[in-house]
Amino acid sequence: MLGALLGWLGSFLTLSPMTRAMLMIAIGIFMIGNALRMFNVHPIFRYFSIEPPKFITRYIRRTAKGTDTATPLFLGALTVFIPCGVTQAMMATALGTGSVVMGAALMFAFVLGTSPVFFVVAYLTTELGSRLEKLFMRFVAVVLLILGFVTLDGGLNVLGSPLSFQNLTRNLLPSNSDSAPVAESPQLSTPEGEITLNVEDNGYVPSTLKAPAGKVLTLNLITNQTYSCARDFVIPALDYYQLLPDTGTVQVSIPAQEKGSTLFFTCSMGMYTGQIVFE
Amino acid sequence: MTCSNCAMKLESLEDTLEGVKEINASYHKLEMVIEFDESKLTDEQIVAAVKEKGYQAVAV
Repeated sequence: MLGALLGWLGSFLTLSPMTRAMLMIAIGIFMIGNALRMFNVHPIFRYFSIEPPKFITRYIRRTAKGTDTATPLFLGALTVFIPCGVTQAMMATALGTGSVVMGAALMFAFVLGTSPVFFVVAYLTTELGSRLEKLFMRFVAVVLLILGFVTLDGGLNVLGSPLSFQNLTRNLLPSNSDSAPVAESPQLSTPEGEITLNVEDNGYVPSTLKAPAGKVLTLNLITNQTYSCARDFVIPALDYYQLLPDTGTVQVSIPAQEKGSTLFFTCSMGMYTGQIVFE
Repeated sequence: MTCSNCAMKLESLEDTLEGVKEINASYHKLEMVIEFDESKLTDEQIVAAVKEKGYQAVAV
């Protein structure tokens, strides 16, 4: 029902990459703050734990004691409002579908898929002894911290920030920079004034494109049975956002760029990234 | 207390401890403010009830 509602809302709203980036950054900070709270780093991090208003907690507490059939349904419905980054990201995706049916199907699949995990986590936290529970909570905090950084990094990628982990390290790692086989890349086989990027299931090839500065260019985006989120192509600095066809070519006009500048591109989730370096 | 849920658990003493008028527990401040009828309940009984819930309390 929530998915259908979000999909319906999404049919009126369009979640721009910038909005999505800001949402991801906020969620990432929230997750990192909560992980640091669980590690007891500083009392200030306790404020990352949301304290619902008292009338709500009292209502939940008293409803939870009820034995009628509506009680488990009510409590189950509340689980989708858990301030969990993955859940919120999925809700944002449902919003992004812009369709009642797709939104409902997406959230249904998500709830179905995560139910066993939630069940195991709930079972472990109630059945484990206090010592093991402490260890388990440490483990959860570590996982949360990692996921928080991954989400924050994804948000920075979608924002086109050079400060994201992937953009900072790309030029440090030889496999991703100049030694990448640019000569073997399809960009040299394309006419002058055009560069070509292969959009594959596991990312963009090559991840670093080189292009002449000061000239208007055409970027050819080639997909060939590509079904991953790499198809959801974003160039943040140009405010360009396009869902590419699973197979085909899409051309993007790139305005003239200054020598030495870099244009970052990414998928809309900030998972797959790459750059065009202007020389 | 380790999370907001602990505050909720402590506030549930409202339903079980006779003589309690209102409980406001805060995880952010790590404190619990309890309004109660002194003729029916003592500080010691409250501290014991909190301990039973798995927490430690000091009356101030």
